[in-house]
Amino acid sequence: MTSNGIEPVKMDDEFAIQTFDLTRVFGNLVAVDGIELNIKKGELFALLGPNGAGKTTTINMLCCLLKPTSGTATILGYDINRQPFRVKEIIGVSPQETVISERLNPLENLNLIGRIHGLDAREVKIRSQQLLEIMGLGERAKDQVRKFSGGMKRRLNIMMALIHNPKILFLDEPTLGLDPQARRAIWDYIVQLKGERTILLTTHYMDEADFLADRIGIMDNGKVVALGTSTELKISMLEKHTMIIYAWNITQKVIKEMRSKYAEVEVTDGTMIITDKKLDFKEIVDLLHSSGAVVRSAYIKEPTLDDVFLHITGTELRE
Amino acid sequence: MRFWELCRRNLKETYRDPLALGFLLVFPLLFMLLFGLAFGGDTASTFPIGVIDNDHSQISQAFADEKLAEVPVFELSTYDDTTDAEKDLKFGELSAYITIPRGFGQQVAQKWQGEETDVILQMTYDESDITISEQIISIVNTVTHSFARIEVPVTVNANPIHIETEITFIDFMGPGIIIFGLLILIPTSARVMVRDKEKGFLSRLLTTPARPLDFLSGYSLCLVAIAIAQIILFMAAAYGFGVDIVGSLWLAFLVFFLAGLSSIGIGMVVASLSKSENQAEPLCWLFAMPLAMLSGCWFSIQLLPSYLRDIASAFPYAHAIEASRGVLIRGVGMEGIGTDFLFLVGWAVGIFIIGTFLFRRSMRS
Repeated sequence: MTSNGIEPVKMDDEFAIQTFDLTRVFGNLVAVDGIELNIKKGELFALLGPNGAGKTTTINMLCCLLKPTSGTATILGYDINRQPFRVKEIIGVSPQETVISERLNPLENLNLIGRIHGLDAREVKIRSQQLLEIMGLGERAKDQVRKFSGGMKRRLNIMMALIHNPKILFLDEPTLGLDPQARRAIWDYIVQLKGERTILLTTHYMDEADFLADRIGIMDNGKVVALGTSTELKISMLEKHTMIIYAWNITQKVIKEMRSKYAEVEVTDGTMIITDKKLDFKEIVDLLHSSGAVVRSAYIKEPTLDDVFLHITGTELRE
Repeated sequence: MRFWELCRRNLKETYRDPLALGFLLVFPLLFMLLFGLAFGGDTASTFPIGVIDNDHSQISQAFADEKLAEVPVFELSTYDDTTDAEKDLKFGELSAYITIPRGFGQQVAQKWQGEETDVILQMTYDESDITISEQIISIVNTVTHSFARIEVPVTVNANPIHIETEITFIDFMGPGIIIFGLLILIPTSARVMVRDKEKGFLSRLLTTPARPLDFLSGYSLCLVAIAIAQIILFMAAAYGFGVDIVGSLWLAFLVFFLAGLSSIGIGMVVASLSKSENQAEPLCWLFAMPLAMLSGCWFSIQLLPSYLRDIASAFPYAHAIEASRGVLIRGVGMEGIGTDFLFLVGWAVGIFIIGTFLFRRSMRS
């Protein structure tokens, strides 16, 4: 009903979401600073970053809640500034705050969103029942939502974003504040959704991005500071390796010798941490043995996204 | 039909909330019950009123014999001079007496021709019983108003004597309490709308293809339905408590409905200007309670100083009480309440436009 006679501006078949110098300023704060993203169709893309990095502001602009200060974005070719109602028809949004009508039951909540999206009562009913079964809320379908646990509300929140079977799904911090079990349940469900539709997910949990995302954009201070698959991001870290050795009887002599060979050597309470571009595992262990140290365990640490984040931004990702 | 879905949701949220329902329906009913118990009862509700016609004109006779005599709660007796009347008042034979001064007929005739004159009626009554004096003054005011089609300043002399009379105050107060119930729609409307804004529900729905107009009509329709339910319930309760309904129910309903619309509009304005329920709700009560008092929800405003009455008459509720009282207990038709009615229509339409405009604006970010 809202075509306005405007056809999609650009239709790059490969991409579902594209941003062009997308910027939002609040007073003196540049919340989102000219980001350029190209999210492929069918991809699950995670925006990872600490609180206040600009992830939610980005999502809010993409789902036409906030007007960009400058720049724009397209969702399946529709411009968020010029065709907001076209965009709203094809997206599903699960906001960070769990927003549900507390005195309505899940069926009624789903019905509301479904009907607003133009589904007829029968379609809504069928889809609601499917979703409730998959999400494990089938038995609570007629209870008022205000009696639900946080995890159940979250699941309903996601279902409400899915009721009209949108091509694009925005999940803003889908597991925020949930216990590990509830998080796991939501992850499992999100995994099932992968591939069917394009999903943009924001999170400040590294393991969530690592587990779910096809590609990750690390956001900090309104900018996308690194972009790639989880492995790509970690490989970019491989220019520096860390080896951790637990041993008894580490002598000053062997510490001195290590320091002469490797860039960084730290020793505390029987733990030796060696960092350098290249590490020779065998050589290090042999050296320690021959110095009389008893090595209990030694390993080369796999870089985590946290390391990537620390490396890129100089700060740790707070959970 | 998105607005319809939104309206249904808003209605469900309200009628499943016992606290909200309690405020909307039970609270005013409780007032009505208290007033009913306090002032109701099956005792005769007539006032013996003395009339002294010093004018002896056709107009003054018409006023005394037709207009005043027509008031069902007045039991009229005519006196030739003040001495007898005052004696009877002191002995409790009269609740009050009205003196029609010389020149009354001429003044009224001049008024009818559009000239600016003051029409004076003199009324002497027992000051010690406020409920009686209030009612009598208010009734006399209404009668003179509908007779002369002008506001007649009634000069009041008080005589401190004790008169024992029981009356059905509820007749008089019923409309006021109904309006009080409709004033409670202000905080309710504001709460319904601001809660969604505060909790992010509005933002959530703004990511759907719903248009601002869908939201506005969804809220308005729901609140209008609540107002209609309230009015029907209150009118039924008023009848149950013994309010004698003389005039047109439809006209009374319409008057109440316009007052309800004004409340919804005011609630919308408050909701647009506030960020949270905690902000909106006290603001509404701070506004609604004094207004209820000034507008005469609980007692007649005839005894208020004129500047307070002026403040009250800038708002629709005093007009609605006046008009609904006229219709319900005195059987006045549209011609008798025309000015009040137009004022109410103007207010309801105006505040709705302002509310819509402000709320739409507050939805944008």
